[in-house]
Amino acid sequence: MINANLKSSYAADERVLNNRYKQAFVYATILGLALFTLFGNDYLILIASQMGILLIAVVGINILTGYTGLVSLGHGAFVAIGAYAVTIFGNLGAGVIPAGLMPFISVPLAVALAAAVGVLVGLPSLRVKGLYLAVATLAANFIVIFLIEEDLFAPWTGGMVGINTNVPNLLGWELDTKREMFGLIAVVGLVSLLAAQNLIRTRIGRAFIAIRDRDYSAEILGISLLRYKLMSFALSAAYCGLAGALFAYFYARILPEQFELALSLNLVAALIIGGMGRTMGPVFGVIIVVMVPEVIKVLFGALAGDSAGAGQLRAPLQQIAFGVLLVLFLLKEPLGINQIVDRILRAANRWPFARG
Amino acid sequence: MTMNRRSFLATTAAATAATGTPMILRAQPKEYVLGASLPLTGPFATAGQLVAPAFAMAAKLFNDEGGIAGTPIRFVTEDSGYVPQNALNNYQRALASEGKNMIGYFADSTGAMKLIAPELKGENARIMGSTSFASELADPATHPYQYLSGPTYQSQFDILLQNIKNEGGQKVAFIFSNTEFGRDPIEHGRKTAEELGLEVVLEESTKAEGADIPTHVTKLAQSGADHCILQGYVTGVWPQLIGGARQFGLPVKFKGTFWGMEKLIADRITAEAGPFLEGYEGVMPYRYFYDREDAPRYQQYAELSKAMFAGTPLENYMSTWAIQTMCGLEIAMKAFRDTAEAGQELTADNIAETLANISDWDSGGFFGGPVSMENNAIGTGRVYGYNPEDGLFTPKSDWFTV
Repeated sequence: MINANLKSSYAADERVLNNRYKQAFVYATILGLALFTLFGNDYLILIASQMGILLIAVVGINILTGYTGLVSLGHGAFVAIGAYAVTIFGNLGAGVIPAGLMPFISVPLAVALAAAVGVLVGLPSLRVKGLYLAVATLAANFIVIFLIEEDLFAPWTGGMVGINTNVPNLLGWELDTKREMFGLIAVVGLVSLLAAQNLIRTRIGRAFIAIRDRDYSAEILGISLLRYKLMSFALSAAYCGLAGALFAYFYARILPEQFELALSLNLVAALIIGGMGRTMGPVFGVIIVVMVPEVIKVLFGALAGDSAGAGQLRAPLQQIAFGVLLVLFLLKEPLGINQIVDRILRAANRWPFARG
Repeated sequence: MTMNRRSFLATTAAATAATGTPMILRAQPKEYVLGASLPLTGPFATAGQLVAPAFAMAAKLFNDEGGIAGTPIRFVTEDSGYVPQNALNNYQRALASEGKNMIGYFADSTGAMKLIAPELKGENARIMGSTSFASELADPATHPYQYLSGPTYQSQFDILLQNIKNEGGQKVAFIFSNTEFGRDPIEHGRKTAEELGLEVVLEESTKAEGADIPTHVTKLAQSGADHCILQGYVTGVWPQLIGGARQFGLPVKFKGTFWGMEKLIADRITAEAGPFLEGYEGVMPYRYFYDREDAPRYQQYAELSKAMFAGTPLENYMSTWAIQTMCGLEIAMKAFRDTAEAGQELTADNIAETLANISDWDSGGFFGGPVSMENNAIGTGRVYGYNPEDGLFTPKSDWFTV
């Protein structure tokens, strides 16, 4: 039976979740996450938490790269700003602001700071595009890490040796276990994803897409490139800042080297693998980037054992296997996993008729 | 019902109780697990690949001896690529997978130790050794569960400076990499030098890799130093600095700390660039593997190496890096066994207390004599000198205890 998503009004078409499949999916996800938070085993909670933090940052990159078409290789810097800012604000405010209120003040401040720096880093996007912009944003990563490591700021940032982070306290509820932290990460992650989905149906989101598809056409249509490109940078940096804040809350200590180029590249890789410019793209990308090395590890472990001798052979092989898998994904499906999933869902939806 | 922390924890505990009670209540596990992160890939893959076999040997040795009070041990080793975040992830993964069976962890860098240190609290605390000699870690007040299997870099500087003083040296230069590792003992070294009446004429920071050798050598020449201590290098920079100084005709005596004292590296440099490491000396906490007389533990290692690694370079020589790892594991095992023998549960707190109180321990040949843990470190070592002709580091001083 062919199903269509019949909409009889513009309002129905404009809803964030504009068909019942999407609504059902979101409700099922909420239920699944709630059950998982309560009953998931420690190992899976740990991996899921790492995925959740990465997901929020990749959703940010998706707004910039996927929807606005601006490439950035420096977004690790905004994660760093979020992580350090929430820790520094937390330390500065300790004793002045009640601990239970601190995250409600320090996280928004950290996110705002990341967004502000995002605007600054986004300025070159008005002049340069593509690879040139990627190189320009790359500088942001190096400058931010350099400043964090500088002796001048070491009293606040801890310099090269890093700084211990604070345990988040939500109105007296100390989230001092990974499971409790996962609860927070899951809620924030889901809200972030829905907010991104919402953004794209608004005037701002449509302006981003217009810029991505042809920027000078967008400008002729009356979209201010200055305003919207910088807004895109600010929003994506804010998302990364939020991810950074959760990162700092999740781990007991942060070091500058955790936010170097490798993180920025990882974010972009996750987006490309998952599918750019699609809400679920970051979700699929993050699952692949985090889970594939884990699965490879488990598989190799099952085949070769987990002794040190096997580990010696396993470690390089794992990296090679992961690299080959990424290349295969890019060759076979450059539009990302989202596209593969779309095809499967479409075929299922139209079954037993043409797959199309 | 509103969900507050208490009810959340109660629900979680109830769920855990429903699903995992038998695992948790088991008093004596079938095996104990020791986790480890090693740099099997990345910039220090050479060291990691040399150290990895030590774990296989340790597993066999310790289990043949009866494990911990009859319970066997198992090592779970993972690659970190020398990235602290990866080591932290490995630690958390091992903790989540192995739970209470995991009683110890071995990390591969100072960064990893510092990153994991604040995670070691409450239920998540585990005893932790590493390849690091960072001075900051030797503080039971701030790092109660972490220990060093030798002297801190500051203690190593003390030993070297005392040795320089004994040799009649007067002017000392410190050349170090611009890393946490390089900078660790510099300030302390300056104070010790002052106390000993030595003048520090140069403190020169270099890149950890690809340093501008001629500039640093020129500064060393201008400083008029008679001795130069190199700190914060593993395979690179320090040989080039010595080579540059020799080409310049400088008579400065160079000295290094643990990570600049590996025979395999010195031999390779000699084979590639000639015998310019003649006269190079440095502090080493342990005896070299070829110095096995009156070292029963080394003799056991040698027998095992012959049996387990026949046909490989490891058959006859164990690197200082692997010795350091073995020493770290021996200390941990002693603490585990002593705790178990005392009838105590193998919790991190009990083990840490036992470990901190290790005194007059006969290590079976690692050190010059019985050693004690002080501030979770073993402050002993002696100066060895390299001879390019026979490719051996030989003792140049007695054992110092600092």
